[in-house]
Amino acid sequence: MSDFDFDIIWTTWPILRDATWISIKLFVLSLILATAIGLAVALMRMSKITPLRWFAAIYVWIFRGLPALVILFIAFFWLGNNLGLTPFQSAILGLGVSSGAYKAEIIRAGLLAVDRGQYEASEALGFTKVHYMRRIIIPQGIRVMVPNYVSNSTLLFKSTSLATVIGLNELTGRARQLANSTFQPIEILAAAGVIYLVFTSLMTLSQGFIERRFALKT
Amino acid sequence: MDVGFIIDIMPEILEGFSTTVRLFLWSMLFSTPLGLALALMRLSPLGPFRWVAGFYGWLVRGIPLILIMFYVFFALPEFGEAFLLSPFWSAVAALSVWTASYQAEAIRSGVLAVDQGQFEAAEALGMTKLHYMRRIVLPQSVRIIVPPFTGNAINTLKQTSLATVITVPEMSLLTTRIISREFNALEPLLALAIIYLALTTVLVFAQQGLERAFRLKA
Repeated sequence: MSDFDFDIIWTTWPILRDATWISIKLFVLSLILATAIGLAVALMRMSKITPLRWFAAIYVWIFRGLPALVILFIAFFWLGNNLGLTPFQSAILGLGVSSGAYKAEIIRAGLLAVDRGQYEASEALGFTKVHYMRRIIIPQGIRVMVPNYVSNSTLLFKSTSLATVIGLNELTGRARQLANSTFQPIEILAAAGVIYLVFTSLMTLSQGFIERRFALKT
Repeated sequence: MDVGFIIDIMPEILEGFSTTVRLFLWSMLFSTPLGLALALMRLSPLGPFRWVAGFYGWLVRGIPLILIMFYVFFALPEFGEAFLLSPFWSAVAALSVWTASYQAEAIRSGVLAVDQGQFEAAEALGMTKLHYMRRIVLPQSVRIIVPPFTGNAINTLKQTSLATVITVPEMSLLTTRIISREFNALEPLLALAIIYLALTTVLVFAQQGLERAFRLKA
């Protein structure tokens, strides 16, 4: 084995940087979709309307029971083909739908942790459900959700690497190509790993900051 | 959608079933002792042990599993002939390394949840550390470890699907081959999804059974 060759990393850096940017865009967009789905499914699971509760429970059962890869395949090979989606759009959809099932459970747990009395008091004060969920319950539930939400989002960031199987040249897929074409997989794949580590570590560190941001002011 | 086609295609996908299950079982077999060792290292009074285990967790949980698979499969052989593994064993190695980092957290938090008085009483009775960990602490922590441990196992089963990126002929890879041969994605993917969902659902029931089995007898 030759010595670790830093030069190849500098040479390929512009390509890795562009691929990292794709990973970040993929992450942000699928996080937005997953959060929206998660919130909707969590509220449905807590609904008084039985079919909505069933729908939400089945959603969580199916999409947590399937590997994210399979969901991505369905989004790409079937939906993507029929709706004319690009691999990038398919990846957002697949990752969002998959992660949304986990987010739903996190959001539901947060909302259930809000004291029962808060619901009763809101109703006694004549708030409509939409109004008190938005103004009273969700703001309090967020505090409980934050740690799990952030660590689950770190998972989502790593899961963006799955998009490589549907031909998207995000960081992992691009690193693999470069590893093949330069014949220096040790250096290139390590560089990609360091880029992921920087982002996942930043997210873990930001967790404490976000928790303080949402903490009760005393 | 053609239900008959889903049923027709299933035996062909199930040819990868044993590969999927073997990936899962071998990974559990290797990751469990590794996870236990890492957890005990993190709980060790010796700084270097704690640092190594902490570094391991940060590294492995900070990068995507696909990238770990690529590293084992493409980069490791560059270090020497001895590291040249078949796709199957590369996937087992990557899955084991990855799963162990999560099992270490599950085991560590279980041990930490055992009442401090139990450690003190064991020491007061003159037990050696090895003795009381094995006889007093670990048996009590098993109850707390079971839910996250089995949760991680279910995750590992789903993640075996990623072995498709290094051409291990498990169920997901066979399904993509059928898709490209038949020019038809929906039915093969539904068949695959049904198999995974059945597998994960069975494991969730097994998890609940294990939790009941380890519950304190009142």
